[in-house]
Amino acid sequence: MRNFAKCLIALEASGAKPSTGSTVAAFPIPEKLRPQLTTLMGNAGFRALFSRALALAKMEVPWLRAIQVNDEGVLQGWEELHSQPGPDMFLEGRVVLAAQLLGLLVAFIGEKLTVRLVMEVWPKLSLKDLNLHEGE
Amino acid sequence: MNKRTKPDKKKLPTNTMRQPAKVVIRKLPTGVRGLDDILGGGIPEFSLNIIAGTPGCGKTTLAHQIIFANATEQRPALYFTVLGEPSMKMLRYQQQYSFFDEAKLGKAIRFINLSDAALARDLNAVFDEITKQVTAINPGIVVVDSFRTVVRKAIGGESELEMQSFIQRLAQFLTSWEATTFLVGEYVPEEIRDNPLFTIADGLFWLSQLVERNSVVRKLQIIKSRGHDSVPGLHTVRISDDGMQAFSRTLGYVNKKKANSAQGRRLSIGIPELDIMMGGGLVEGDSLLVAGPSGTGKSALATQFIAAGLRQGEPGVMAIFEERPPGYLDRADNFGLNLKTSVQKGMLEILYLRPLDLSVDETMQEILNAIEKIGAKRLVIDSLVGFEMALAPGFRTDFRESLYRMIGALTGAGVTILSTVEVEDTFTALSFSHYTISFLTDDIIRMRYVEIDGQLRKVIVVIKMRGGNHSKDIREYVITDEGVVVIHPRQSDYTKLSTGLPERIGQREEAAPEPKAAT
Repeated sequence: MRNFAKCLIALEASGAKPSTGSTVAAFPIPEKLRPQLTTLMGNAGFRALFSRALALAKMEVPWLRAIQVNDEGVLQGWEELHSQPGPDMFLEGRVVLAAQLLGLLVAFIGEKLTVRLVMEVWPKLSLKDLNLHEGE
Repeated sequence: MNKRTKPDKKKLPTNTMRQPAKVVIRKLPTGVRGLDDILGGGIPEFSLNIIAGTPGCGKTTLAHQIIFANATEQRPALYFTVLGEPSMKMLRYQQQYSFFDEAKLGKAIRFINLSDAALARDLNAVFDEITKQVTAINPGIVVVDSFRTVVRKAIGGESELEMQSFIQRLAQFLTSWEATTFLVGEYVPEEIRDNPLFTIADGLFWLSQLVERNSVVRKLQIIKSRGHDSVPGLHTVRISDDGMQAFSRTLGYVNKKKANSAQGRRLSIGIPELDIMMGGGLVEGDSLLVAGPSGTGKSALATQFIAAGLRQGEPGVMAIFEERPPGYLDRADNFGLNLKTSVQKGMLEILYLRPLDLSVDETMQEILNAIEKIGAKRLVIDSLVGFEMALAPGFRTDFRESLYRMIGALTGAGVTILSTVEVEDTFTALSFSHYTISFLTDDIIRMRYVEIDGQLRKVIVVIKMRGGNHSKDIREYVITDEGVVVIHPRQSDYTKLSTGLPERIGQREEAAPEPKAAT
């Protein structure tokens, strides 16, 4: 899932303004998937899934422990961070969280439907670049 | 409007005024094998339908099958999920079915969750969300699953009147937007009378699970089908990897064209003397019952009947219940009847049916499928006792009725049927069958044992031929390496042959057909 997540982050970065701060916009993958997933499973459903992804990501990336998912399904708690993570650590957090969210989707609805859903948000995504089974 | 019927001016006489045409209601295929037949062609376009039943009956599967069969990018399907099964789980499970085409998701089929509106306990919010999505997407099909959850949750803060108003508004809106609608919900039969939803609905699909001892069978009833005919009664449904399949009580033969068989053509049964006894053979399209105790050669006779058809180029189906196909084919070999080649050539289908948990309708559907597949002209059911025993106990009560329907349907379509039935010989009477099914057969042949001169010999008699006159003789027969062979009329006269304990009248004129053991 890491490759999948990295691929989406790269795709997103290529078309977006550079963002360095620890803001919601710094996590564009879940944010862009949110309307799609909320339509499918409701706000409560998305919040539950995203919270699970965050909980799993926190095991790998300690600095994410200060972050929570609020009632709207948006990440919050940036002010709780005592020190801003460095760019590499920050990127790692983005990759891990996105990978966990994608991983949960794959676990529930399978690769085909997950890719299909993701491609509705990022139509330029190429299946060739995904290498779903590498870097899991 | 999607399709309008334009008047064909060329066909109108110039001096007459064209009468306004009545509306032609297009019917949507359900995607469920057998269900379109039950519905009289499909689901009327723009109708409002309820798919109801208890949990686990297949309501969601049915709704999914309908949308996958009909949704296109131009006329998508909107599937509103509410507080019932979460969409993720629904997608997780439904994609296991072969009808699930993930390429349709997103553009042709869209899942939209209404939980937030329903949780707000506000029917107006639910209505607004549905109308917003329908207006934006212009769907051909709308499903709300579960609609009962919408109403139950929302009614907490609404009056009964407001709920009725909501249903009315929703029905009017969806019909006006030319959407065929399915409201899925868990209901019990007692609700039909009082729930206004059932009054408004055009179609009502009722799914249930019936339990009989250890067997469970799913049933479907079309309780309401406004504006068109459907097949009444409870139809068996089965859910497999391919989704739902329905088995019409009419076995799909209601609208089938009658076969153009030659009027009264006689078919050889494969035993020349027996053909003569039957007045020239079996009338094509008849149902013949061959009754007799174990070992009298009923299966041999049935095999000869099929083989005679194959020699005439008539494909056949043998549904056997008591013996495995290899044994059946080997015995045919022993009679000099090579059925294996016919099986290989696709002229003969041997069905070995031990369904155990299948309903009688499903079993009969297997037979019908085989008949349609090879265009069979002759069918053997060997035997009715085995057929009944192979069914789960709960289905045996329907056996006679279902058999009646199947035989009626098949003979009506020109298939000639030979069924065997085992009867126990008594030495006081000549019974034909303990099934009391002789009413559904045109012709009856009885085989039985008789004790003559210290031997248990076999006799055969044609009891009934609906198609005409027949021999009344009780004839002796033997089973040789040619199968059942009816012996040339005997000169020795006996009385009380039908009791099995005959008395010879006069002198013995000939030796026993099969010699007695040497003393």
